[in-house]
Amino acid sequence: MKPVKIAMMGMTHGHTRKYYQTLLENKKLDWVASCAQDEEAKKVYEIYKTGVPCYLDPDQMYADHPDIEAVVIASANDRHYEQMKWCAEKGIHILSMKIPSFDMEEYDRMIELVDQAGIVCQIELEMHYNPVVKRLKKLIDEGAIGKVKAVQATNITLSPVWAFPWQGDPKASFGKVVPLKKGDPRFRGGALCDHPHIFDLIRHLTGSSFDYIYAEVAPNLRKELKVEDMLMAVGKLKDGTAFLFDPSWSRLEERLKVPGPGWERFPKRMEVNVTITGEKGMLSCDCFGPNVYHNGAPNDRYTVQYTYFDEWVGLIDEFVDCIRNHKTPLINLKWHKETIHAMLGCYESLETGKIARI
Amino acid sequence: MNIKKMNKGLDFLCTKYGAKKGEITLKDGHCFVGATPLLPQRVERKIVELLKMTENGTLEGVSTLRFASFAPKGADVQALLARELDVAAYLGKAKVVRVMAVANGPAINALVKLANDVNCSVEISAGLPRGQAAYDRHEIICARGVGSDQTIDTHTPHASIRVSGAKGMEEYTDVDTELFGMTYEEVWNVRAAFALLQNPKLGAEWKKAYAAANKAAASCFAADKAKRAKTL
Repeated sequence: MKPVKIAMMGMTHGHTRKYYQTLLENKKLDWVASCAQDEEAKKVYEIYKTGVPCYLDPDQMYADHPDIEAVVIASANDRHYEQMKWCAEKGIHILSMKIPSFDMEEYDRMIELVDQAGIVCQIELEMHYNPVVKRLKKLIDEGAIGKVKAVQATNITLSPVWAFPWQGDPKASFGKVVPLKKGDPRFRGGALCDHPHIFDLIRHLTGSSFDYIYAEVAPNLRKELKVEDMLMAVGKLKDGTAFLFDPSWSRLEERLKVPGPGWERFPKRMEVNVTITGEKGMLSCDCFGPNVYHNGAPNDRYTVQYTYFDEWVGLIDEFVDCIRNHKTPLINLKWHKETIHAMLGCYESLETGKIARI
Repeated sequence: MNIKKMNKGLDFLCTKYGAKKGEITLKDGHCFVGATPLLPQRVERKIVELLKMTENGTLEGVSTLRFASFAPKGADVQALLARELDVAAYLGKAKVVRVMAVANGPAINALVKLANDVNCSVEISAGLPRGQAAYDRHEIICARGVGSDQTIDTHTPHASIRVSGAKGMEEYTDVDTELFGMTYEEVWNVRAAFALLQNPKLGAEWKKAYAAANKAAASCFAADKAKRAKTL
């Protein structure tokens, strides 16, 4: 199979660096260029010494590499539409970050663009390529605990805002400046916008869809933030499954400009844990374990060091397969729309104090 | 729970430390001394240590409490929830003022707001197989620090001893030398009774807290039915 000529755009998303190894190692790909949002993003990109040229102007990149077939859009949420449009106009396939847009009119225009251009647009929800999630789905499908009755899931991390400031900017993260609720000085665009995975996962595991959702926001851990960093949600799926989600930035961090060792202050950077009650039993699951532990450099304090599974390998494999074999990715814009609706439902509930119907 | 054995232990403690004598009785699955409901969670060592952390400056600026409690099939889900809501009020140092919950079969997930704006999530399930030990988890998330009664990076509780022998895997977690041989639940009920007998003023506080926790738990089920948050 001819390798797919691929490029990256934006380079400001927290997941940007996670692609480098896969793009360089995967023989089905030929990573030809990158295009940074600005000088700052280019400077950070160059630290990683990928050997792939980095531009600041996408048109210049395309002029120099007119054979680009696919782009990983690794930018702030409010830049996604213009970049998708740029790709669609050129018939370039798209791998989008996890939040294409929170503006549902814009979201529908993205669907139109992709459909009209006949291109692949895959959404980056890497948990689908995690081996623990694969086992979890298999166990549930095989009836290990019977029909699912209740799910609790965490998607808790440190806050990436110090390295990726757009994630603390209501406009760049949520797409527009919307207060959380009356009398609250914070705006939409924080931890919730960073953590769609559990909203997606429950649909994937149960095959059901959201009925309603209710959310509560708690006092921020980081008083400087304009956006929420602690919130939780409960609700039900249409099949009656009761859920409790924690998508908070509840793990404190060192305020590094570039992520690296010592970023975490809580010993653990991130956790996606799930407990499920079924008709026949219970199941608890740590999607990122087992790990290794140390108290060495740089801070000489107890640290959980991940033994990452590198979900990006499977994600890219699917993307290439869809491009070469004209398939639709499992996580496409249309599938993902309900997940975005559920996340918006959380914000609606925070504003009204009532459940939001999805 | 073996009430006879527990009362023997209580008598031992009261005699040894010169406290007023009393007797534990079991009513609807809950332990009482006289008319006072026992709140064993308020003397349980791990909860007491977590509370201390919020009081001595180890943890500062409580934002969110995250609790879970899992019990074998047939357990009283509402009683489990009431217990956790009492822990929420105790550790959060404020009353529960608003509850929303979703229930399904043997499980209920509750999201509650305390009067000081702290959030608390409570995950309850009576979905463990019969005979399996119940376990719980309490986490306090603060602007300065996170405290938890479970080990970081594991989703199973720690056991003091694991024996891999002829009977397969056996676990032991003994927490009280003076009451050695009692189950975890028995130990903290005896300790609660002893605390009450040593300090009778706790009676009024516990009666009030028990009523508030039960009211909040009932409101969670009402919120699930109504599909709207209930203000207390």
